[in-house]
Amino acid sequence: MSITEKILCSKTHEYILKNDDNTYTVGLTDYAVEQLGDIVFLELPDIGTEYKKGDTFATVESVKAASEIYMPISGKIIEVNEPLVDAPETLNEDSYEKGWLVKIEAMGDESEQNDLMEYEDYKEELE
Amino acid sequence: MTKETYLHDKHVALGARMVDFAGWHMPVQYTSIIEEHKTVRENVGLFDVSHMGEVFVSGKDSLAFLQKIVPQDISKLAYEKAVYCQLPNKKGGLIDDLIIYKLGINYYLIICNAARIDEDLNWMVRNKKGLDVKIDNQSHNYSLLAVQGPKADELLRTMGLDTHQESFTIKPATICGRKLLISRTGYTGEDGYELLVENEFSEELWDKILEYGAEFGIKPIGLGARDTLRLEAALHLYGNDLDENTTPIEAGLSWSVPKDKKEDYNGKEVIMDQIQNGTTKKLIGLKMLDKGIARHEYEVYKDGKKVGVITSGGVSPVLNANIALAYVKNDKNICTGSIVQVMIREKLHNAEVVKRPFIEKRNRIKI
Repeated sequence: MSITEKILCSKTHEYILKNDDNTYTVGLTDYAVEQLGDIVFLELPDIGTEYKKGDTFATVESVKAASEIYMPISGKIIEVNEPLVDAPETLNEDSYEKGWLVKIEAMGDESEQNDLMEYEDYKEELE
Repeated sequence: MTKETYLHDKHVALGARMVDFAGWHMPVQYTSIIEEHKTVRENVGLFDVSHMGEVFVSGKDSLAFLQKIVPQDISKLAYEKAVYCQLPNKKGGLIDDLIIYKLGINYYLIICNAARIDEDLNWMVRNKKGLDVKIDNQSHNYSLLAVQGPKADELLRTMGLDTHQESFTIKPATICGRKLLISRTGYTGEDGYELLVENEFSEELWDKILEYGAEFGIKPIGLGARDTLRLEAALHLYGNDLDENTTPIEAGLSWSVPKDKKEDYNGKEVIMDQIQNGTTKKLIGLKMLDKGIARHEYEVYKDGKKVGVITSGGVSPVLNANIALAYVKNDKNICTGSIVQVMIREKLHNAEVVKRPFIEKRNRIKI
């Protein structure tokens, strides 16, 4: 199973990936990354910070502009992708395996995921 | 309605990402802004800048007319030479910035910003009263291709360019058997040319330049890299760094304003007064010390007080740093080497005031 078959995507182009230990990995879709162009700067949150679904939790800057990244579901930050901050261009190559942003412990109800889409549907929505 | 240049289909075919810019549907990038930027600094790049305006000025009062509308001394402009100019209003604020070329006796070409063509023309018509001048907007008939980078000259020579010319000159030339006007100018800080051709020839010329340019590592370059290139060279962008409330002196363009021009021109009183007595605001260059990118309209602080605003900011691929242009209070404590702060997402980030341009320009070719 490829990674895109396991993720759920938001309309604002973030994804969540459920891990075995009931935590989630959060990142940007490949489509989002391609649209942003050359990514040159990344601001990630502190571990322990809690966010509600829809809150801005990170900022990614491409050559062209700064973009806010929103929480696809409510959660507490338990890990951030530190190596990515030093090499934000990695995101342009791969936003899933190496280019994930944070790992969270979900805080809300599963129903928060109702408006998230499977990758295939998300891609279709874009067209 | 969004306009398209004659090269629009070429951009789409090359896979460019298209955006609306100044009323035109233009390529912002073909592959990557950083890669395109480096191509121009190291080799050569090709730009479609056909959205820019071309206005021809003729008639026996042409010189008197130009003397009235720009601070520069056009009487000193020799045949086939070009000069960077501004178009001030009565208060010295800038309606546009331009390049004026002398093509013949009482015959000049003005190249102006796409978004400002209408304002420029209105202003020019208002200023020609009583003068024998013809103002002929030919923007719709011409395409403008920029070939920029250290290998631009060699490339055009390979294509049969038959003239030797210095920077800031314009000449009729023949390339691949077609006649065009070629100007050794640009907006990148590199050596290079701008080729003014009739629309019908633009597609053929575009293809030929890419074909002959292959051995020089040429790439088509979008507006994204055009912006990062001009920022590194600290070249002003109208609408960001220049506007109707900013004079050329405040904008750090004193070098382009003669002190001894006899004729009156719009805004002369204000401009001469600022040369004598100084200005209340000034343009500075900034290099970010803390991580973060200063962008257009972010605020600048010194000692906890707001002292100015960023007008252009972004990354410098050559310096591998984040740079910006800002207008700040004309305070002697804000000078080269001083530290100021830029407010980025509600946090202050340190930046150092540095000299402009941010990189060494290589566009002053003498023969």
